[in-house]
Amino acid sequence: MGVGTLQKPGMGFITFGASALLGILSLSLFLRTTMKGGHPKTGPILAAKLWKRVLLTLVALLIYARLMPVAGYLISTFLLMSFLFWIVRGKKWWWVLISSFLTTLITYYVFSVWLKAQFPEGPFGF
Amino acid sequence: MGALDNILFGFQVAFQPSNLLFCFIGVVVGTLVGVLPGIGPAGAIGLLLPATFRISPTSGIIMLAGIYYGAMYGGSTTSILVNIPGEAASVVTCLDGYQMARQGRAGPALGIAAWGSFIAGTISIVGLMLVADPLAKVALHFGPPEYFALICTGLILVTYLSQGSILKALMMALVGILIGNVGLDLVNALPRFTFGLTDLEDGVGIVPLVMGLFGISEVFLNLEQDLDRREIFQTRIQNLWPSIEDWAEAKWAILRGSIIGFFLGILPGGGAVLSSFVSYAVEKRISKHPEKFGKGAIEGVAAPESANNSAAGGSLIPLVSLGIPANPAMAMLFSALIIYGIQPGPLFIKNNPDLFWGLIASMYLGNGLLLLLNLPMIGIWVQVLKVPYRILFPLILLFCLIGAYSVNNSTFDLFLMILFGTLGYLMRKFAYDAAPLVLAFVLGPILEQSLRRSLMISGGSFAIFITRPIACFALGFAFLLLLSNIIPYIKKRRHEYREYEE
Repeated sequence: MGVGTLQKPGMGFITFGASALLGILSLSLFLRTTMKGGHPKTGPILAAKLWKRVLLTLVALLIYARLMPVAGYLISTFLLMSFLFWIVRGKKWWWVLISSFLTTLITYYVFSVWLKAQFPEGPFGF
Repeated sequence: MGALDNILFGFQVAFQPSNLLFCFIGVVVGTLVGVLPGIGPAGAIGLLLPATFRISPTSGIIMLAGIYYGAMYGGSTTSILVNIPGEAASVVTCLDGYQMARQGRAGPALGIAAWGSFIAGTISIVGLMLVADPLAKVALHFGPPEYFALICTGLILVTYLSQGSILKALMMALVGILIGNVGLDLVNALPRFTFGLTDLEDGVGIVPLVMGLFGISEVFLNLEQDLDRREIFQTRIQNLWPSIEDWAEAKWAILRGSIIGFFLGILPGGGAVLSSFVSYAVEKRISKHPEKFGKGAIEGVAAPESANNSAAGGSLIPLVSLGIPANPAMAMLFSALIIYGIQPGPLFIKNNPDLFWGLIASMYLGNGLLLLLNLPMIGIWVQVLKVPYRILFPLILLFCLIGAYSVNNSTFDLFLMILFGTLGYLMRKFAYDAAPLVLAFVLGPILEQSLRRSLMISGGSFAIFITRPIACFALGFAFLLLLSNIIPYIKKRRHEYREYEE
């Protein structure tokens, strides 16, 4: 991927320029914050007490993205919704299952049947 | 065709039953998005974008624009009743709106917000009608150097006006340009930064990017706090029609807000958020009783709410006449047009009169619909507000997943969205603004094309940006903006250094 010449800029021309500028700016931000000393204004990443919930949700989303083409929209979405409704607690298990089931079904009808989005099918044909 | 013929033609388009229906869906979804925290207008446009592939481009754009200006209406409801802005443009409405609600004047506050929005929306549409077409005619004479200069200025303006550190915003813009470079090179069609993945050859999609940066990251941030700490102000909402005294106090605020909003809306990066803050500050400055502000002054609700709606109309101008989106929501509209096979830019109005004038007329109708939706039906939106966040957040996540997936039916986009969600979450933690990134991402390819073409035209000489007057003026302005930010910093440093010496 060449930078090219000024007369005939190549495909790396702007990426090189932008990266170089980004490097300079990063360096100046780094110097500015180190020279200033003291505590930075932003807090640490995991300061909030419920950070585990964020991490679990992230993992659940990644598993969902992996699972959906294999298990199909209906099964994987039902599992994801059950997990997400469960993770914040406060509700009975049957409430979690029923609302996950309804959410999955309604979104399937709205997006797949009505709006004709193509969701992957699972091993059982749904 | 004169302006009157044009607008009549626009109404013909807008009154077609299908367009009317999609306008209605758009403003309802917009109000919903404005009322609910967690998914902004840009995210909502992304969600419904795939659904518009099967309808005509005109209906599609009418609906997507409806989401944008509808969200500005809805945002005020939560600010006034819950003291939590539904979206960023209504932050400042909290100051006086919530105080009015506490004093039992929630009705007039909601009423003046809705009427102010309606009047401002109308004024901005008239402005849009008058400004967009002539500007597009001027822009027809622009070549690659002018475009390069305008985009540079636009991006620097975005970073200048963004919340927080300008240095960080500039860095985000550069990251956006780099992400925009992923995919096949526009000139010789060779892959760039694709890491051998065929999914990346079309580049990074804007829907996963925006939904990740704005939707998913917001959910993550809310998840780490205690949910459902929102408390809705328990009051009977009555007297939605503001009294004559209220009108007398608010009328000039509405007018000034509309004008400020319109002009700030045109600026890239200005838009609804900035204009609401500026108009509030202006009202407070010129008010005869500034001490009332923050304690329930009706002007403090009327001005910002008018300004953010007016800005929604104004921000369409650079999109339709120059092909340069002014904020993330407009970037989504820009991408929608590209997907429909329509090039936003100077020829947009000439080549697509039905779309442009239909859109303007539909915005007019949409404003009327919003007034109906927001005043008599305010009770419904208050009920929506009561839906607890623990029920809301799985739905927001699911909608983001569906939206990202259904653009290309690709699970790769899901992973991309989750990646950008995590990135956006970290960016918010470290106070990096996502708006410059999104705009630079959309504008990056145009910036690159125009720079490469300009240099080819000039035979490698950068003087082309100085010898062309418009380009020179735009770049000079951008340079001054940057300078105005750096000089105070250097002065401060020198001052500190002198003190240290002494």
